[in-house]
Amino acid sequence: MPPIVSFDRVVFSYDYVEVLHEISFSLRAGEVVGLLGPNGAGKSTSIKIIAGILAPGRGAVSVAGLPLPERAVDVKQRIGYVPEAAALFESLTGQEFLELSGRLHGVEEDTLQMRIREILEAFALSSERSSRLDTYSKGMRQKVLIAAALLHNPELILLDEPLSGLDVNAAIMIKDLIASLAAAGKTILYSSHVLDVVEKVCDRVLIIHKGSLIADGSLDSLRATTHRESLEDVFRTLTHSASVEPGVARIVAALR
Amino acid sequence: MKKYLRGPYTSRLLHAFGIDPVRYWLLIDLFGALSERRELFSQLGRDGMTLQKASWGYYIMSGLLSIVLVIAGMQLNTYATFFLGFSVFLLTAVLLSETSSSLVNPVEALVLSHQPINGATYTAAKLTHLLRMLLHLVPGLSLIPALAGLFLKGCPWYFPPLFVAAEFALGLLVALSSCAVFGWLIRLLPPARLKAVGMTAEALPWLGWMIFQFRRDVFAHIRVPAWTRDAVFGLVVLGVILAVFGLRSLSSDYLVRVAAIAHGRSRAGRRGRSWFGGLVAAMGGGPAARGGYEYVSRMMRRDWQFRRQLLAFAPMTVMMLGGAVRSVKLSPFARGFTAMHMFPHAFGVAFFVICSTIFYGNDHRGAWLFLLAPAGAFRGVARGVYSAFFMLIAAPHAILLPFLFWYWGLADALLFSAYSVAVAATYLAFELRLIEGMPFSRQPEATQNFMVLPLMMAGGFVMAIAVGLQYFLIFHSRAAVLASSAVLCAAAYYLTPLSLESLETSIRFHLGILSAETKAIYHEVGA
Repeated sequence: MPPIVSFDRVVFSYDYVEVLHEISFSLRAGEVVGLLGPNGAGKSTSIKIIAGILAPGRGAVSVAGLPLPERAVDVKQRIGYVPEAAALFESLTGQEFLELSGRLHGVEEDTLQMRIREILEAFALSSERSSRLDTYSKGMRQKVLIAAALLHNPELILLDEPLSGLDVNAAIMIKDLIASLAAAGKTILYSSHVLDVVEKVCDRVLIIHKGSLIADGSLDSLRATTHRESLEDVFRTLTHSASVEPGVARIVAALR
Repeated sequence: MKKYLRGPYTSRLLHAFGIDPVRYWLLIDLFGALSERRELFSQLGRDGMTLQKASWGYYIMSGLLSIVLVIAGMQLNTYATFFLGFSVFLLTAVLLSETSSSLVNPVEALVLSHQPINGATYTAAKLTHLLRMLLHLVPGLSLIPALAGLFLKGCPWYFPPLFVAAEFALGLLVALSSCAVFGWLIRLLPPARLKAVGMTAEALPWLGWMIFQFRRDVFAHIRVPAWTRDAVFGLVVLGVILAVFGLRSLSSDYLVRVAAIAHGRSRAGRRGRSWFGGLVAAMGGGPAARGGYEYVSRMMRRDWQFRRQLLAFAPMTVMMLGGAVRSVKLSPFARGFTAMHMFPHAFGVAFFVICSTIFYGNDHRGAWLFLLAPAGAFRGVARGVYSAFFMLIAAPHAILLPFLFWYWGLADALLFSAYSVAVAATYLAFELRLIEGMPFSRQPEATQNFMVLPLMMAGGFVMAIAVGLQYFLIFHSRAAVLASSAVLCAAAYYLTPLSLESLETSIRFHLGILSAETKAIYHEVGA
């Protein structure tokens, strides 16, 4: 079966600074893949390229066999994307924002209203559906973004820090939701710094460090390669993370 | 009406241009709702109230001009050409700026960039408001001149409808050309350079106008080469091809480039702490004054909206400075008028523009930081802001002084510099009161763009009066200049603390409002 996402030797630069160096990986249908890396490693940039928001500088990217950026509009029709930094139209209500998102994706009106009602109820947002988004808390906004990403029943779901700001119950619900969506055949690329969640929900892990892909494999294979037990230790080993204690000591000393 | 407008015929027409009608109308409704709810401030074409005011302003301006020209008995051809040229100039300036606002700071496009919308649909929806602007502004520019033209000798009865139709056709041409210019810029330029080049493109009409004003003699002697008359058809075809390809490049890949435009900031540079900041702190303002100075002086260089506001005045400033430099050999104390007489008052115009626009900023969302500052800090911040402005007075004078000394001698150079600094400092003391709140802490508003011309005209008028009074009353004797310098120094000395107190109050007041305001979408996405 051909991969649903093919990311082949991709190079990307912001303002002449190369941030992705010939990265290659692929995602197969029904996989839940964790995308890990330190801040500024290139995770969000990779996700944006797959979402058709950024055009790769070199290399080839395709989603469901559709090349990017040439077929970006068709690709966007098939993906659900939860961005890292949530920009929303603040003066719209939650209901209006979801209606806009669904209609732009061409969801039939009755289906759209039914899905909005069900998702908002599941997220305990029904009573706030007519409130403007600028009155929502961070967690409520995140729920709206997740709802908008799912409304059109996409094949591929790109989640960039989806649990940011969510309360404990909502976070548990999203983890279960990811597992259920994967069981239903959806492909999920999940970027996060919360490693225990990645450990629980992902079949496979990609680790990007300084713009290069340094690991690609199942959790068991990464544990075996690095001789570490937890994903946190695997991550620290692969990214050569220094101990945090000296940094803490420096900050405390500077404040004296 | 809405039903017919969105009916099958329009849909077919939109389809023919590669525009998806369903998504197009969804976006039109979205942008309308965002403007109505005051989330999109920065676009003149989406603010009906401001657009109406601008239109009335144009009615008054074109009405006054046509009365003057009809009374002067101008020939009909010259009259029509003058007004068509005037309209093209104004519409080019306003529509270029509006297109730039719509396309170069694409915050709402960032929210929509992962939605399945093709470039043609998005840019068509984004630029439809240019047509709305034409519907408001063109009547303001053309109706009164068209009717007044009937009073000219030999004017046929069909002149008014023909003239108004010609104005609309030219307006449409200008709107399409503005879009095509930005289509080419977006296609050809690296995203990081787009804002800077876009700003320059916006300033071109003003630059052209200033060159025309100052070098009419050159334009009077321009002879169009004969070959261009023969090749006029070819040139028109070339222009149309360029415009069509510009529009096509705008529509084809805009949404793919949006994130790159947003991310492609120019670098801030490696500027460290400035010695003047240290001086400001040491002079009694403390760390807060240093903070205010560093914040304002850096934001003045980096804030895109502020820089593009200033750029509209840049040609006038450059011309004035150029005039001053050209006449630097002539002492203002000698007989006769020189451009150096205008030099001190140029600061008044500059500070008027700066102080009335500096509280708008693209990074206005970052203003929450000031809500955390202790109340006592704002006195220091106000002093820091003043210091940043005072540097704008001190630096040019320090640069100019050796040249003045060389050409005029020490006494005249020092006297003129002292007088000029005193005048500029007095202007600054007054104009500090125009700053409404913390600099760069409010969302840009559409009124800024169309206010450029009236501001330039008003500023030029006030400056002309001040320069005239100064020339006849003061510069006839050095003693009068010395005495005036002393009086103005004293005025600046006493007025400045009062203005700083007022600025401090204004900052506190507006931060109080800010804390209660809802958030708006517009913020800086590049420099």
